[in-house]
Amino acid sequence: MLSLGSGGAKSSKPSFVSYVTPEEIKLEKDPQKKEKHPDLLPGEVVFCSANPILKYTQDDLSQRGVFGTLLCTNFRVAFISDDAPQEEMSKTFKNKLYGENDIPLMCVDHIYGVYDEKRKLITGGLVKNKCPSKMIIHCKDLRVFQFCLTFSKEEDAKRIFQGIAHHCLEEKSLKCVFAFSYLRSTNPDHGKSSRKCITRLDSKSEMLRKREAIMFDSPEDWTQEMKRTKAQCRLVTENENFELSQRLPQYFVIPSALGDLFNYQGKGLPIWCWSHHSGCALFKASFPSMTQEDGDFQSHLDTMITAVARNYLYSVKTEDLSESLPTLQDIQQSYNKFKQYFLIDNTTDFWLSDVKWFSSLESSGWLDIIRQCLQKAVEVVECLEKDNTNVLITEEEGTDLCCVISSLAQIMLDPYYRTLMGFQSLVQKEWVAGCHAFLDRCNHLHQKDKECHSPVFLLFLECVWQLVQQHSPAFQFSETYLTVLSDSVHVPIFSTFLFNSAHHRESVMKAESPIAQSRPLSCPTVWDWSVQFDSKAQNFFFNPLYSEKVKHERTVRRPHKHKHQRQLSLPSSAFKTPTKKGFFKDETDSLKKMLRVKRISRWMGSPDSPVVASKEFYESWQQRPLDYHGLLLPSLDGPSVRVWMQRYLRWIPEVHIMGGGSVAIMTKLMELLSQVEDLKRVLEQRDPSLATQPDHPPPLHHRLPSFGSSGRLSSSFPFTYSRNRSFKPIIPTGLMQSLMVADNLANQEDETS
Amino acid sequence: MMSHSSLHARGRDVLGLCCLPGECVLQRAVLVRKKLSAKEGGGWLSGTLFCTHFRVAFVPQDSQKPDDNADPVLLGDHDVALASIEKVVAVGPSRTKLVTPTCSLKFTPEELVLYCRDLRVLCFLFDRLTPDTQAVEITYTIAKTYQPLKPGTILSFQNAALGSIEMKQFLSNRRRDPSMNWLECSLGWEQELERTGASGWRVSSVNDRFEMSTSLPRFNVVPQRVLDTELKKTFAHFNEGRIPRWCWRHPRGSDLLRMASFQNNIYHEKDDIRNLELVLFGGQQLCVIVDLGEEMPSPADIQLAHTRLRTLCLGDISSSVSVPDDKWLSTLESTRWLDYTRCCLRKAAEVCCLLRAGHMTVVLQEPEDRDMNCVVCSLVQVMCDPHCRTVAGFQGLVQKEWITAGHKFLSRINYHRESDKEEAPVFLLFLDCVWQLWAQYPARFQLTEDYLLALHDSVHLPLFSSFLANSQRERCRRSQHLPQSYTPVNGLRDVPMSVPEEPVDPPFPPVWDWALQYSSQRRARFTQPISQPTCPPPVLNGNLNTNLERSWHNDGLPGSVFLLSRSTFSHPSNLLPWRSSNSGSYWKSHRRAPSSESLSGLERLIRACSLSEPSENNTILHDPYEPLLPLLLGPCVRVWRSCYLRGALHAQAFSHPVSSCTQHPVDQLAWEVQQLREKLAQASNRRPENQIKHQEARRPESNLNQNANNGTFLFSSSRVSQQQQQQAPSSRGAAQSSAPPRPQRTASDPPRPAQRNSGKHTFLFGHQQEPQSGQRYIPSPSAKLHKRPGNSQ
Repeated sequence: MLSLGSGGAKSSKPSFVSYVTPEEIKLEKDPQKKEKHPDLLPGEVVFCSANPILKYTQDDLSQRGVFGTLLCTNFRVAFISDDAPQEEMSKTFKNKLYGENDIPLMCVDHIYGVYDEKRKLITGGLVKNKCPSKMIIHCKDLRVFQFCLTFSKEEDAKRIFQGIAHHCLEEKSLKCVFAFSYLRSTNPDHGKSSRKCITRLDSKSEMLRKREAIMFDSPEDWTQEMKRTKAQCRLVTENENFELSQRLPQYFVIPSALGDLFNYQGKGLPIWCWSHHSGCALFKASFPSMTQEDGDFQSHLDTMITAVARNYLYSVKTEDLSESLPTLQDIQQSYNKFKQYFLIDNTTDFWLSDVKWFSSLESSGWLDIIRQCLQKAVEVVECLEKDNTNVLITEEEGTDLCCVISSLAQIMLDPYYRTLMGFQSLVQKEWVAGCHAFLDRCNHLHQKDKECHSPVFLLFLECVWQLVQQHSPAFQFSETYLTVLSDSVHVPIFSTFLFNSAHHRESVMKAESPIAQSRPLSCPTVWDWSVQFDSKAQNFFFNPLYSEKVKHERTVRRPHKHKHQRQLSLPSSAFKTPTKKGFFKDETDSLKKMLRVKRISRWMGSPDSPVVASKEFYESWQQRPLDYHGLLLPSLDGPSVRVWMQRYLRWIPEVHIMGGGSVAIMTKLMELLSQVEDLKRVLEQRDPSLATQPDHPPPLHHRLPSFGSSGRLSSSFPFTYSRNRSFKPIIPTGLMQSLMVADNLANQEDETS
Repeated sequence: MMSHSSLHARGRDVLGLCCLPGECVLQRAVLVRKKLSAKEGGGWLSGTLFCTHFRVAFVPQDSQKPDDNADPVLLGDHDVALASIEKVVAVGPSRTKLVTPTCSLKFTPEELVLYCRDLRVLCFLFDRLTPDTQAVEITYTIAKTYQPLKPGTILSFQNAALGSIEMKQFLSNRRRDPSMNWLECSLGWEQELERTGASGWRVSSVNDRFEMSTSLPRFNVVPQRVLDTELKKTFAHFNEGRIPRWCWRHPRGSDLLRMASFQNNIYHEKDDIRNLELVLFGGQQLCVIVDLGEEMPSPADIQLAHTRLRTLCLGDISSSVSVPDDKWLSTLESTRWLDYTRCCLRKAAEVCCLLRAGHMTVVLQEPEDRDMNCVVCSLVQVMCDPHCRTVAGFQGLVQKEWITAGHKFLSRINYHRESDKEEAPVFLLFLDCVWQLWAQYPARFQLTEDYLLALHDSVHLPLFSSFLANSQRERCRRSQHLPQSYTPVNGLRDVPMSVPEEPVDPPFPPVWDWALQYSSQRRARFTQPISQPTCPPPVLNGNLNTNLERSWHNDGLPGSVFLLSRSTFSHPSNLLPWRSSNSGSYWKSHRRAPSSESLSGLERLIRACSLSEPSENNTILHDPYEPLLPLLLGPCVRVWRSCYLRGALHAQAFSHPVSSCTQHPVDQLAWEVQQLREKLAQASNRRPENQIKHQEARRPESNLNQNANNGTFLFSSSRVSQQQQQQAPSSRGAAQSSAPPRPQRTASDPPRPAQRNSGKHTFLFGHQQEPQSGQRYIPSPSAKLHKRPGNSQ
């Protein structure tokens, strides 16, 4: 059992609000089934279970499987194999909350039942019908589970099926989310409010010590951030109790020119996001569409825009994202289509899909949406970096695509956000404190209302992944980190992704708090990675190739002195009036020409479309030597936007390269690193004077993930390991067997069994 | 124009161009900038642009003065040969124009874009200070000289490059790379037989004068029991006389053969039949004929796919249409290039799995035996044989399965533009397949992407004897002029000294003479900075030898033949034309494979093959002979970006000065290891009293393998380590004692280019290097430590 944070691990008796009947709870108490239970988390309660259930091993055509018990708890659907507990092979990347056969309830995407060889999507209506012979669960992290229900008693099967369907698919209230019962059992001492305050402070200070993330839930955090970016804005503390607006955070920053104009529920209010060091800044606002002919409101918005403009140089550029980017529904539909290609329950289909692979990916349009978002972010960056104008991005709500674009722009502009800590702070600032409606968008409660679901946060992570992919040394965190983060959205323990806004969180937490007057419960944030992973596994979050900022190193490693090497961030004039007097003609000119010639089709219609403009910007950025600690722009052309292989392919054994892929390079790297360490140590022993080397390049590694030395790693490491399932080869029988001389066949079996 | 060049006819141009002997500078332009690709570091480089008879050369402003005494390198790092240029485009202030020899420019070009046949795009920018005349003239000059459309221009190109007396002399004095197997003489084939541990086969010189088959190599490997006189009768039964020939032996005892289709309208005498069967079965009882004729893409398909891929990647400048970003993937799919790659890899993987079963001959059959057979046969070996993943081994493989085997390079590459119908980049398809394997298993290859790229590019240069002929016969005829009489005795046959004084006929070097083409820095990147993990030489699986013995006995019995086609086995009665009358009785019951298995049967077999690996004993984790089975599903087969997309406009325009500043971390670390080692060595030299202690410290790491091997094998340690270093430690242990090591064999160790390029990462792992010294003296601990610094300085 885990020991979590301040609360200790004594799982007290369940005191959760539940709609399970007492009989179901009694089932848990059944003594003979006790040993079949997983390590329950504090506050976790088993609803129902069934045995034996056959879980198909996914990559097997012969419908082979493992027998075991299927349970449904208030946290997860768990399958416990009957086989002897698998030796904990080098499973360094184990999630402490749920195992590889567990599905957190929030993570369930769709459930299919197989009735007479026909697959049907289970909806509310079908649950009451007869039990299917086979249940297929598609998870939001793209795992696919197939359970055969025919081996257990019929009522058991029916109960487990209905239980799972009920708990996974039915609409439920936020109170039933596991986080709350988890909280109560991890905070047993809620009676003493004074002590609670201390623990809260403790955890807070501990968090600060560990430097996980800046939470942006206090005025100090915001002041510090403003100081860091040298912003000249005003911190608003009046919304501390959400008197101004419930859709706004407790604390936020607005242009200093803005007086007290908090009308219209904060609509149109420009929220400061980030300041460029030149002084111009990025703001976001919720702008309702202008249909209403309300003169007052119109002038209100005008005032707002003016206030933004006065922030710096009296210039502002507004960008209505809902006009130029796909709608939330488009994003949702496109993603639904896209993920289908990776949810494979029939491998033969997958084998056949390869011929149409690229065009089917393309037809989903998901990659194109990613491209559009990145493109838009580049445009925003251009305004800030090149034109030095203030930018105000707007949207109906101001909390969806605004978050995507503003966070992306900040990652591109500010190297701080490319560190792990910075990235987490950014998500905290723009998304959590910025009131992104995680609860609605992720559909944690399985609401039927389809309108508001949309994987916006995932879209953001996808865009970041593209950047990580293209400029990996610039990022302190790894691809694995992003993948894990995208999974954690569906783990119903973290307060980070559980609420629609700051106000929502405060009110819910207050209501849930057992004693109304005491401070609200403190929920673990997702940034406390120790809840999910031990420190060894957390090393995988770090990119070993991250090039940390070292001044002297850059001069050493750059042999070419480029004539046109410019300063990292340019004075505003440098771009506006290209120097024509130089020795060479301005290269952007010729490039523009060439581009126009080559890819004319792209902007034939509107020669001055923003695409052209940003291309130019891109070009001029390109000519400067790449600085991983400066501006970073993604390349967006056809071949550059790729599929996030690790996230989408990690559960598909067919595409795992045994002993290959990038992991192979990484292992090699680690080998070399350890060799360097060894050699250094030996050298130091021998001759301490030699140990310090002047020309020694800085260490590449930040923290080394430990790769299991033995065992071959597959390309989907660390999510799946080398498959050590016993697998009998399915040799085409008949002729192939007759091809083999008898003893050959014996050999074959020896080797493969 | 020529008068101008005569000033600089010898040696260096005033502006730093190091001319080849006899090379004439036709035109030059100063103050030109070259746009660098991402691979070169991105950004711009200013310098001088030259156009000579032979190449368009670019000399950077502040480049180091080349060493005058150095051997000539045909192309500098920034040069492009005229023959590889495909299109010249001039970009003016307001327009672009495709420049042809006849057209006239009405504007002063600001930019010159050269589209090359190898998918590179070079972009030069003229400055305002470049004299207008120079800009115009050099554009014209390039446009007039590059066109390799007629055989005449090819010839003059070759002469420009290699025709001068000095160059001819230089070429004729060049030594061949002794570390690779050229397979041009019987000795080479014998080495190959020995390396793979194949017994029961012999090298036949029956085709020595190309009398039996004009397209087959001089020497062919056939079963030992077939006499040359008997063998002669079999040629007539095959298309073009391309009889079944041994190519490779799998360590589990299967043999890989290749042949052309059967001649059907021929009478089979009884004696013939016996010989045919013998040739087909080798010593085995089973024979699986893999039909490559139907399912594989035809050369025409490949050509079409490649053209489409080119258009996609380079854009079509004449119509100035390019694929919009959001349609890129589907357009890529519609080129079908990746499909064909997948198809070849799949077939090869199937064959690998077949071979793995052991004790059979697998015969690849293609009507001509000159295209897909080459692809599949060599892919199988790359997958199965670690030796073929080293540079030397790979070169030997190409030599064996392509160059001597008679792939029609000249027609397929179509240098002369004479055989447009025949043109098909089959070899490039093969390189792409190898790249796919490399991309999936980078750690299992000694060669690198850079090497594959270099080979890819040299295919487009009509200078190499390897690619300038359709068969070995043509090649011999060309280089000797006396094909019928002269038989080389040893393999180290140099290009004859006395080339007749015809200027039209320069001697062509082999493509493997990389020093001729690339600077040593480029060549250093051909091999991985880190050598492969030393795989212990496989314990000779006993069944190999014993079973071999067993299968020798039943020679009288006619073996059974199966056809593998479309991933199913079948036993059609007319498979072997000579058996068609009396066949069917044995195997009637197995006429057809069940249809349910037809599609995915072998795929399952392949997967089973790959799945069974981890469950094997942990100590043989890296069994070097476990085939590298490529993954062929949609997401796994990828575009060779650094080849096809390097010239693409977007890739080019978006090139960034990345790689110049930062080496790949592996390189960097490797460099660091080397530095540390040197330091360590220095330190140990200074304080010899510490040496013993240090040696002890390092021993567990480096010598573990040797010690272990000494326990297993009864060889001396140097012998073992030599084998170990060979990385293809063939299963030849049993034969070892009988075969005394020959000088050639020791020389055929893969080159860790220790002496040649002392600069980079060569001494990464002491224990990898030690064997080289160990051959001369027993590696005592102290010798090792002294050896290393000595070499690298």
